[in-house]
Amino acid sequence: MRVTESSLQTQFIAQVNTLESDIATTESQVSTGLNYTEPSEDPAAAGTVDNYDAALAQSQQYTANANSAQTALNTESTTINQVQSQLQSLRDLALEANSGTESSQDQTAIATQVQQIQSSLLGLANTQDGNGNYIFSGYATQTQPFTQSPSGATYNGDQGQPLIQLAAGQTVATSDNGATVFNAPTGNGTFTTTAAAGNTGSGVIGATTVASTYSGDNYAITFTSAPTPPATTPSTYNVTDTTTNTQVVTGGSYTPGGTIDIPKVSGGATSVQITLSGQPATGDSFTVAPSTSQSIFTTIQNLVTALQTDSVSSSTSTQLTNAINTAINNISQSLTQTSNVQASIGGRLNLVTTALSVNTAQQTQLQTSIAGLQSSNYATAYTALETENTTLSAAFQAYTITEGLSLFKYIS
Amino acid sequence: MSDLFDISISALQSFQTAISVTSNNIANANTPGYADESVELVGTAPQGTTATATGDGVTVAAINRSVSALNNTQLYTSQSTLGQLNSLQTYTNQVDNIVGTTAGGLTTSLQKYYSAWSTLANDPTSTASGQAVLSAAQAVASSFQTTNAQLQQLNTGINSGITSDVSQINSLASSIASLNTQIASGSVGSSTQTPNALLDQRDEQVSNLSKLVGISTTANSDGSINVFIGNGEPLVLNDNITTLTTVPDAFNASQLDVSTSTNGGNSINSQITSGDLGGLLAARTQAVNPAINQIGQLATAVAASANTQQGLGLDSSGSLGSNLFSVSAGQAIASSNNTGGASATLTVGTSAASLGALTADNYVLSYKGGAYSLNDAATGKSVTSTTTVNSVTGLSTVTGPGFSVTLSQTPAAGDQFLIQPTATAAGSISVALTNPSQLASASAFTATAAAANNGSGSLGSFSNPANAALPSGATTIAFTSATTYTVNGGASQTLGAGGIVSFPAAGGWQATLTGTPAAGDTFSITSNVGQTGNNVNALANASQQNQGLLSSGTASIIASTSALVTAVGSQAAQVNTAQTAQTAVNTQALANVQSVSGVNLDDEAASLLKWQQAYQASAQALQIGNSVFTTFLDAIGATT
Repeated sequence: MRVTESSLQTQFIAQVNTLESDIATTESQVSTGLNYTEPSEDPAAAGTVDNYDAALAQSQQYTANANSAQTALNTESTTINQVQSQLQSLRDLALEANSGTESSQDQTAIATQVQQIQSSLLGLANTQDGNGNYIFSGYATQTQPFTQSPSGATYNGDQGQPLIQLAAGQTVATSDNGATVFNAPTGNGTFTTTAAAGNTGSGVIGATTVASTYSGDNYAITFTSAPTPPATTPSTYNVTDTTTNTQVVTGGSYTPGGTIDIPKVSGGATSVQITLSGQPATGDSFTVAPSTSQSIFTTIQNLVTALQTDSVSSSTSTQLTNAINTAINNISQSLTQTSNVQASIGGRLNLVTTALSVNTAQQTQLQTSIAGLQSSNYATAYTALETENTTLSAAFQAYTITEGLSLFKYIS
Repeated sequence: MSDLFDISISALQSFQTAISVTSNNIANANTPGYADESVELVGTAPQGTTATATGDGVTVAAINRSVSALNNTQLYTSQSTLGQLNSLQTYTNQVDNIVGTTAGGLTTSLQKYYSAWSTLANDPTSTASGQAVLSAAQAVASSFQTTNAQLQQLNTGINSGITSDVSQINSLASSIASLNTQIASGSVGSSTQTPNALLDQRDEQVSNLSKLVGISTTANSDGSINVFIGNGEPLVLNDNITTLTTVPDAFNASQLDVSTSTNGGNSINSQITSGDLGGLLAARTQAVNPAINQIGQLATAVAASANTQQGLGLDSSGSLGSNLFSVSAGQAIASSNNTGGASATLTVGTSAASLGALTADNYVLSYKGGAYSLNDAATGKSVTSTTTVNSVTGLSTVTGPGFSVTLSQTPAAGDQFLIQPTATAAGSISVALTNPSQLASASAFTATAAAANNGSGSLGSFSNPANAALPSGATTIAFTSATTYTVNGGASQTLGAGGIVSFPAAGGWQATLTGTPAAGDTFSITSNVGQTGNNVNALANASQQNQGLLSSGTASIIASTSALVTAVGSQAAQVNTAQTAQTAVNTQALANVQSVSGVNLDDEAASLLKWQQAYQASAQALQIGNSVFTTFLDAIGATT
């Protein structure tokens, strides 16, 4: 093809422009350390990096959430440890009061100590976190959860359980509301046995067990006869299912320290079993009812009231013993309940720890991936720069040679 | 003997002309549009017809331009394509840069916004955390605003580019027309010699014109040419020109369209697909406006999802949350060519289903033959729509993907409306709340199953499609069968599709039932007013980050933002590649033209030597003729 000087020039300039633009791109890769500066240079990587950046920031937020959850759970765990130690002291005091050797003065002293425990438990129940939020009031974090009342304490919080997000679709509860922590089932957890207030005998409720399954009905145990001392003949009692109004035991026989067996239907298998000690009087009665949830503060208040009641006569002494036994049962239930909460907190802390390490691993992974997509490979970039430089120098030299070729030079 | 002198003199004159042409070639070696010229020599016929008659010298028959019409046409086409890609590239790269950097900023600000909700959920009573959510929302809004403003700026640039191109095209057209006149008169006046310089100039003007807009040319017998643009739209006919004009778009007065002086202001945009002007129009419809719409689609989704969630929760004062973002609900524009008086009102849906159906496209709503039809504005494809007529007002509402349009009256046949559901969202999004206490962190209700329930049913996922007020007091839902229920002991109602329970009455709030309730099961729905630590709604806001809100519920907002970065980058990369390829094609086309019409200095040097030697030889011949004549005079003693 016929080539003219001006088209040689045009082509040379176009080539130099292309080469210099390539050099500029490579040079920017070396100087910025980035594989691309505009998304158009690597659209797929740019979109992916954008996505990964968002995922990384989200993961970092999850780490912050987990740290916050960890703090909250640790605070709750510490508080519950203290609650448990108070409950332990409370049970020791109740056992001491029940030893039978205490004078009424000692009982008053014990009642005072119990009241001190009550107020320190109330303090623990109203614990606030670093932000001034009550940790045991559910969602009502600005409301003091427990206020003292004549019957113990009133719960003002709600049943809510605030959650914190640990990962997409994974949340963890950061607290437990006051109702969960400070309420516990009464009696043995399934049913509760109570001596009637007007009992005149010395019948004291001992261990109670569920022999097969408990029907959930209320029962009344009424003593129909009792031996006159020194006779030691067995007493007789009837048991009525007061929910269905049917008599399930007629003329049961009892000797002190023995058990009262209650079947679901007359003549059936024993459903629940109650051990009594002492000798109930004729007409004394005991009731069996399903366990209900009761605040520890009510339990303590009942104990204080019982301890403060003068216990000179033998019937009031029996009543005191029964009241203290009820309290000990309920305190034990509270201890179990708080242990359950403590175990649940432990489980949640494990979850948080796992989430923290998963997040850390994920962040490292994402950072590596982003670096891989975004960072330029220095070795490749340098080599490319070198090659492009050589090509440009060669193009310059070639042009000088071609451009120097002119017939006019040879015409003199 | 006298013809010996005549022959030599004719040769000397011809070779002098040849040397002049060569010199002129050398002088114009770098003149744009100049075509290499050569002399056409013709031997003068002998005067006698005898066998021994010699020729009578030489004359210059013509000075010819070296031109290949085919090469030129190929160059024009190549230049038009390159011109289109060059201007398109300018804009795709800017869109790439804007979306790549500021949308990167958008991803960051969106991420921070969702993180702020997550932090607020950790402590919903914290005013500082609430303020952080508002600030993050502010940052999201300004990211959208900035991106939109920068993209709108490109449209301003496109408008001024169109104006400038149109005026250059007009001036080139009129100079081609005036050259046509001169060439035609020159050709007619002197049939032997064509006006080479004028032709060179005209070719150069046509070549320049081809860079601005795609053209085709035809030649007339008088030497003039006709120039057409688009699908045969005449620009120059002999010495007449059709002036190009810019007119405001029929739908959007802020965008300029190209029209001609003869067609009554109608847009001929669709005909202009190449050249710089074609590139500008393509940049607007293919790069800038789609990006504005896509950013707007994201803004619509962010605002709608946040506002819906706000409306489901309670703020610090125990009221239902009000809108966090305010955003324009798109626009429906009546064409300026409409003959009827109907105006259209656009409503963009905010429900999850509407957001999932919403696209970044514009639509054209047409009324013809008593029926409405909806078409995609870019592709012209028909889009499924439904038309409902309000029985009270008699007004028609057309529902399309994610939006509905209500017409104020029946339009005239042929009337059109441009529906832009997303175009204005990114520019209008702003934060409507000022106080952190207005953020709805708490969920409005808690549904509690009664302890004695025997079924597996549970109630949750509250929604409020009809924007009902908060019911006062607790609500009891009692199931009378697995599919029927009563509210607060009222009349029996049937479970809605998808397990929807409406309370306190039909058309009020909705709760979703999962599982199967047994007859007699009851649920109590209590208000969460006063639960300052309730963070359920804040958590729901934070988790929207991973929720598939767009593209039929398959893409989260952040994933869509990343996808936009990739899409815009790919488009820019594609145009860059095409531009590089076309540059090579154009260089080749230019080289082809040069190979025929260019001036090669080596050629000219050789020609110079050739003509110089021929001239010297002719002079020698004259000298010899002279000496022959002198010898003859001496012989006859004519000299003294």
